[in-house]
Amino acid sequence: MVKGNWALFEEDFWSINQILQTLSRSASSRSVMLIDKTGQLINSIGEPPGFDVTSFSSLAAADFAANAQLAEMVGEKDFATLVHQGTTESLYLTMIANRVILVVLFDRKTSLGLVRLKARRAGDELTVVLNRLFNKLQYKNEELSTTSLGADFHAEAESEIDSLFKD
Amino acid sequence: MSLINYSSREINCKIVYYGPGLCGKTTNLQHIYSRVPQETRGKMISLATEMDRTLFFDFLPLELGQIRGFRTRFHLYTVPGQVYYNASRKLILKGVDGIVFVADSLIDRFDANVESLMNMHDNLAEHGVSVDKVPIVMQYNKRDLPRVVAVPDLERELNQRQAPYFEAVALRGTGVFDTLKLACKLVLKTLG
Repeated sequence: MVKGNWALFEEDFWSINQILQTLSRSASSRSVMLIDKTGQLINSIGEPPGFDVTSFSSLAAADFAANAQLAEMVGEKDFATLVHQGTTESLYLTMIANRVILVVLFDRKTSLGLVRLKARRAGDELTVVLNRLFNKLQYKNEELSTTSLGADFHAEAESEIDSLFKD
Repeated sequence: MSLINYSSREINCKIVYYGPGLCGKTTNLQHIYSRVPQETRGKMISLATEMDRTLFFDFLPLELGQIRGFRTRFHLYTVPGQVYYNASRKLILKGVDGIVFVADSLIDRFDANVESLMNMHDNLAEHGVSVDKVPIVMQYNKRDLPRVVAVPDLERELNQRQAPYFEAVALRGTGVFDTLKLACKLVLKTLG
């Protein structure tokens, strides 16, 4: 029986995928990523980034988390969006449904204003999908329990752990 | 908070190495990074000061590969151990699936261990997480040095919940993988 803290199912994944694809096209961005706020990459759309996305996701989440604390200190509820502007590449980050971070990587072919506008729209659509998903997870745990990783999963995982992690 | 992506068939879990300053958390990750096959690990990120003290965190992603059709990953983090970095420690602890508490066995660092442990309990409580619900492995590091606290004394003062423990010399790698393996297995058990 699988009881991960949250799970992403196929229909939700494809809904999210479509929203991100639309955002990437309409904002003329280089790539769009959706990251769990604990730093795990959920999905990435657009040009393959020329960097390690796992590390990037972890750093983006840490960046957002640190800024949230700063916001609290100065009396704000949060800083809902962050913008990092570089000479050629820029990043737009925004928290969605207090659970995932939407990251848009863009260059001079587009503008921050357009990215903001399209990201806001995508954010509203993602919020609907994610709230639906969280409701599903909360109220349909019985259905989740029939979706199993398999009885042999743990045995095989433990064997792999023993094999890989040794001097 | 573990994430199971049924669409892409991926499982991601987070393990945090906690403990007082200079106890060996980063050394653990550096040893793991240096020893695991390249295809098993991603890039190690270390956000540190110029004096190589952890400023924000170290991060090391590990991948077990395909297990029954699921790509299974562990994300290892360390926290900064120095007392005044508590805000950062609190952030890193968010969404944790398993903890390795690295204790410094030196007699002079005993109080620091206790303080760090209490701090960990407080930070977990602020996240609404009961420390009893999180898998934890204790590591008593620096066992090779003179003037160390005896393990039974460390156990009595730091490990009232009787979590599994390992003695370690992280600089040489002793006990590092034993600790990691058990932490990973305990985390996977919580998935069902």
